[in-house]
Amino acid sequence: MSSTHAFADGLRGAQTGLRGATLRVAYASALLATAVVLGLVESSLPPVALLPWLRIGLANIAVVVALMLCGARVAAFVSGGRVVVVGLLTGTIASPVFAMAAGGAALSLGVMIVLQRSLPSLSSVGLSAAGSVGHVFGQFLVAALVLGSTSVFVLAPPSVLVALAVGAATGLVAGGVVSRITKR
Amino acid sequence: MTRADRIVIAIIAVAALVSWPVAVSAGPAEAMRVAIAGPGGVTTRDLDSDEVLTVVGARGDVVVRIADGAVAVTEADCPDHTCVRTGRISAPGSVIACVPNGVIVRIEGGDLDELDARVR
Repeated sequence: MSSTHAFADGLRGAQTGLRGATLRVAYASALLATAVVLGLVESSLPPVALLPWLRIGLANIAVVVALMLCGARVAAFVSGGRVVVVGLLTGTIASPVFAMAAGGAALSLGVMIVLQRSLPSLSSVGLSAAGSVGHVFGQFLVAALVLGSTSVFVLAPPSVLVALAVGAATGLVAGGVVSRITKR
Repeated sequence: MTRADRIVIAIIAVAALVSWPVAVSAGPAEAMRVAIAGPGGVTTRDLDSDEVLTVVGARGDVVVRIADGAVAVTEADCPDHTCVRTGRISAPGSVIACVPNGVIVRIEGGDLDELDARVR
């Protein structure tokens, strides 16, 4: 985690009085709590007319912030923790819906980690948009496994386009959060 | 938004647009079927067909009517007529059961275009 420069330069100067591992634990916990609350808020929103499958992916804001500030391991903790806790709180844990959420979260995080490492010039907008698309594909892969049918992929192209837009929007928010935390 | 962001987003958007017709044509144009299972075995019909079938059940006859892309049990030799009161079904996976007669009418196949769960 020492290689995460934003952590070293930005957060240590944030005058929190915390250092190193303590700071990391504090940020990881705060981001996980944020992700869970955002996930719950989103799950309580009514479905949008005509697009009942549309999700904003608010919780992904916290994951992107974690990835940019604290690195891949903390982001994985926030993402995985959020899926499990939100699954417990909404009662969907151990259901196919939970498997889809987990598959989406895992592929989304994987895509974002790989892109962050291979394309350092990507901002939070590009990372989040690509992660959002990864989320769609992760869900579809799990859905195809559960149903034993690849017919769900018919829905992939339109979903990908919507995911790009929605992911870019949440990425913009994440970028705003990151810049406010690091430039104190 | 950096230049790299725009490039990545543009590549994914173009890939989605290009694959759209491919995905649609690769999808199942599978017709929905009606499977009627009774003590005498399973009979299958297209949901699009227009037909009235009489199935021999354990207690008596069960009349199954397929019309206008829907199925209903219109008459049955049973005490409570739950199957008749189920009405017309047309969605994949829907079932009409006449338990006393041991007859199950089920819709199979079809596209997965109906929402049955939402991921939170």
